[in-house]
Amino acid sequence: MVNLKFAIFKPMLKLAMERTGHGAALGFELTKISLGEVEMTFPYRPELAGNPVTGVVHGGVIVSLLDTCCGSAAITMLASNAVTPTMDLRLDYMHPAEPNKPIYVSAKVYRDTSSVIFCRGSAWQDDPENPIAHCVATFMKVETPSISLRNTVRRNFRRFVLGKKVDGQAGGK
Amino acid sequence: MIDHELKSTLILARSEANPQKILDLIPYSSFIGAQAKIDESGVMYWLERRPSNIGNPSLPAIHGGVIGGFLELSASIELLYFLDVTSIPKVVDFSLDYLRPGRYKTIYASCSLLRQGKRVVNVATTAWQDDVSKPIATARCHFLLP
Repeated sequence: MVNLKFAIFKPMLKLAMERTGHGAALGFELTKISLGEVEMTFPYRPELAGNPVTGVVHGGVIVSLLDTCCGSAAITMLASNAVTPTMDLRLDYMHPAEPNKPIYVSAKVYRDTSSVIFCRGSAWQDDPENPIAHCVATFMKVETPSISLRNTVRRNFRRFVLGKKVDGQAGGK
Repeated sequence: MIDHELKSTLILARSEANPQKILDLIPYSSFIGAQAKIDESGVMYWLERRPSNIGNPSLPAIHGGVIGGFLELSASIELLYFLDVTSIPKVVDFSLDYLRPGRYKTIYASCSLLRQGKRVVNVATTAWQDDVSKPIATARCHFLLP
């Protein structure tokens, strides 16, 4: 039963992360989802550069990728209708990313307690042993059925599956 | 863009007291929509709401990664504007504490250069929405000087 639930949950998580808001704008792909472990691939895009001379991707993109990847790994640990807001995120940049090359990201939960989930993640290009960035992140477990992943997907199912443009989201001022 | 264009834009931005000119150099800043201007306390940075910056569509809330990216960007602009550097500094590490959810409205940020050594600069940044005394996130960032 648990496995069946997880089998349904996986595509839901993938849709929610890849097809909404900033995730859709960045354009990454979740390539692996298992209990407490998530992997992503992100193609190079010149409009996300942080250095106009070299074209190196901005650190903020790495922050978003690692936050999403660690956050997704944290969500896989939830048994109920809860959400996992990030409490803190700490990144070390080991070396700059090379332009025109995809970035691979992986995250793993290393401790799951009753109220906090501890996670670590890394981003690399050629060699996972030589990462461009490494991070540790902590997430709170907050019981809020109304905005849990399951109910968010249920409410936005058509938009997620049809992949409507991100511009179509949320009302006006 | 070539190196000397970057240098001349940096010098121009400082002499015209227009940090937005530095932001305009960085493709990522227009991707998230970051803006900057001079105010009485230094440089004020802000990020107007836009659909492509949403994290959870049900609230809706601003994506945590966007808040982080915006604060890291603000910290690097602060450094480029106030210090006499001629190339984009390297980030060594970035530490971000989320204090409140980022509601779907404008985020403001201000930075302070806490320490400048020969090789390393420490910048602290704070982000808020309606009330300066209720920050939504704070961050610390170390940069290696070129």
